Amino acid sequence: MLTKFQAKLFFLVGTFLFSAVFLMLTYDSLKYVYSSPSSRTLSEEVIRGKELWEKNNCMGCHTILGEGAYYAPELTKVYERRGPEWIRVFLKDPEAMYPGERKMVKYDFSESQISDIIAFLKWNGELDLKGFPPKPEYKTSTQIVNSESASVTQPEKFKQICTACHSVAGSGGNVGPALDSVGKKYDLAYLQNWLKDPQKVKPGTAMPKLPLTDSEIKDLSSYLSQLK
Amino acid sequence: MKYKSQKIAYWFFATCMLLLSLQIIYGFVMGFARMGFDVLHDWIPFNAARATHTNLLVVWLLTGFMGAAHYIIPDESDREIYSEKLAYIQLISLILVGVVSIIGFHFNIWEGRKFLEIPRPLDYLVVVNVLLFLFNIGMTVWKGKRYTTTALVLYFGLFSAALLYLPGMIQFNSQTVDSYFRWWVVHLWVEGVWELIMGGILSFLLIKLTGVDREVIEKWLYVIVGLTFLSGILGTGHHYYYIGVPEYWKWVGGFFSMLEPLAFLAMAMFAISMYRKSGRNHPNTIALFWTIGSAVMSFVGAGFLGFAHTLPQVNLYTHGTLITAMHGHLAFWGAYAMIVFAILTYAMPLLTGRKLWNNPTGLFAFWASNIGMLGMTGAFAVAGIAQVYLERKLGLDFLTVQKEIQVHFLGLVLAALVFTAGIIAFIINFIRFGTPTDEALGAEQASGDISLARRS
Repeated sequence: MLTKFQAKLFFLVGTFLFSAVFLMLTYDSLKYVYSSPSSRTLSEEVIRGKELWEKNNCMGCHTILGEGAYYAPELTKVYERRGPEWIRVFLKDPEAMYPGERKMVKYDFSESQISDIIAFLKWNGELDLKGFPPKPEYKTSTQIVNSESASVTQPEKFKQICTACHSVAGSGGNVGPALDSVGKKYDLAYLQNWLKDPQKVKPGTAMPKLPLTDSEIKDLSSYLSQLK
Repeated sequence: MKYKSQKIAYWFFATCMLLLSLQIIYGFVMGFARMGFDVLHDWIPFNAARATHTNLLVVWLLTGFMGAAHYIIPDESDREIYSEKLAYIQLISLILVGVVSIIGFHFNIWEGRKFLEIPRPLDYLVVVNVLLFLFNIGMTVWKGKRYTTTALVLYFGLFSAALLYLPGMIQFNSQTVDSYFRWWVVHLWVEGVWELIMGGILSFLLIKLTGVDREVIEKWLYVIVGLTFLSGILGTGHHYYYIGVPEYWKWVGGFFSMLEPLAFLAMAMFAISMYRKSGRNHPNTIALFWTIGSAVMSFVGAGFLGFAHTLPQVNLYTHGTLITAMHGHLAFWGAYAMIVFAILTYAMPLLTGRKLWNNPTGLFAFWASNIGMLGMTGAFAVAGIAQVYLERKLGLDFLTVQKEIQVHFLGLVLAALVFTAGIIAFIINFIRFGTPTDEALGAEQASGDISLARRS
């Protein structure tokens, strides 16, 4: 068997050899990172967003690039999933968007701080992550109903916020129900009331009270009532 | 104990027990939050509880390692510690930094990088503190009457741990680079230099408890730490699969991660074979339980469960899920918590002169905490597998999935209660030993410390 000297040699040679390889690969990786497209889009805004991300220990609940605390959603692709408008509304009052659900601290971010955070999330979402996070494999596609019957076009607000949770014609989120035939179930007046204050109509619902103006509510409900 | 100054170790151990108790309390806060009882949200939001829980873990383990060094290094170097006063100053300042950081977490003051949440200004104090410690222990080794491999490996481990804290203090603008260097600290600590510290403590305990020849034990110590670095350094790559660095990390990280369990397997086989070689039985059987237990559990938790999700094909799905929490809990417990408990159990009778070994409370502490921790690991595993399947395979919404797996956290909290019962028993035993006295000097003879008895 080995002598003590040979064992020591194994330890020393192994350690130095692999440390050297590790340093070489580190050099190469940094070269790769700093020459990739992501380093060109790393703006002041993104950097400020990262500072806010760290200053408030967002990683203490969320994960980003798969690193964090698994208590709140993975945010690498949140920009793609929810869109900037939704994130903006959400960050102003997180609990209002998920009434009665897992809580997030309400931070008093200013408008520009929220923009910085959104820029940071967008930047991370655009990184080349070698296939992470994986696309779900057995996801059932939402049923497509004749959403073409709508004569009113989809309001901008709908695309920005509602599609984060609801889907129409197969595209959108799956948190809330698909809205393809919502007009069959509810009339214009009901939808208007609903959008004004969902909790009042159906206490305990997961649907948040969104910061919508009266004209936006009008547009949205007339659009929705046409989906039959 | 052989030297008066070894008594310092006791105060490090006592701090350890205090911080561990706090860590468990914060663990419960999080367990309940995950069950849906987030009643403390306004005072201790999840991110504060989480940062406190993990930072306390790091600090109490480091305190334990420092305590171990204060016990082992004088013994191995055959002299008193270089400066007793420095040791106490260092301990007190360590506690201060820890307490200030933890209070800060509750007021939204932190650096916000997982495991490295301590705000940067306090980082500098940590550096000064650790330099004090390294100087004091280093001078003891330097001026010692003999240089043993055990002492050198332990010191090299502590030194490298301090050195590797530095890359975590540099600021990077890119999340990719930030993440890259954060792992230099976190991974190279727990899967590199901390294993040196663990190896050092383990070999000291095996020399004392089994009476096997020092030459034999120290030779294997070199082989084990050699294997650790051979696999662990490039094994850092398993954190680099999906952060935006070159593709080759999947191959490098995957391959060397496959080798990582070897070091732990060697450690377990080494501990067991040394135990079987021992001619006589040391009376402090519980210390032996913790020692062998640590080697075995670190193989299960760090080696096996780590291997279970480090291959890139698997990690693609398990990355950033509760599977990591499952592996993390048993790995830290087996490799580092248990070895601290081992040295503590071994040293306490010698520090206080009270032969309180092999009592029912001590045995209960060992079994309850281990069974509890295995139960917690199981709960995390089931929750994690369900999460991966529902969220990553079926594409269900995050919060929907969390509701589905809430029930597993009831299991987690129940297992945590068993674990806590064990830890309480351990602490009761610790308190029963009382404080160290000078009368315990030279108590090795009476303690049946095999190798020492043979030497004299």
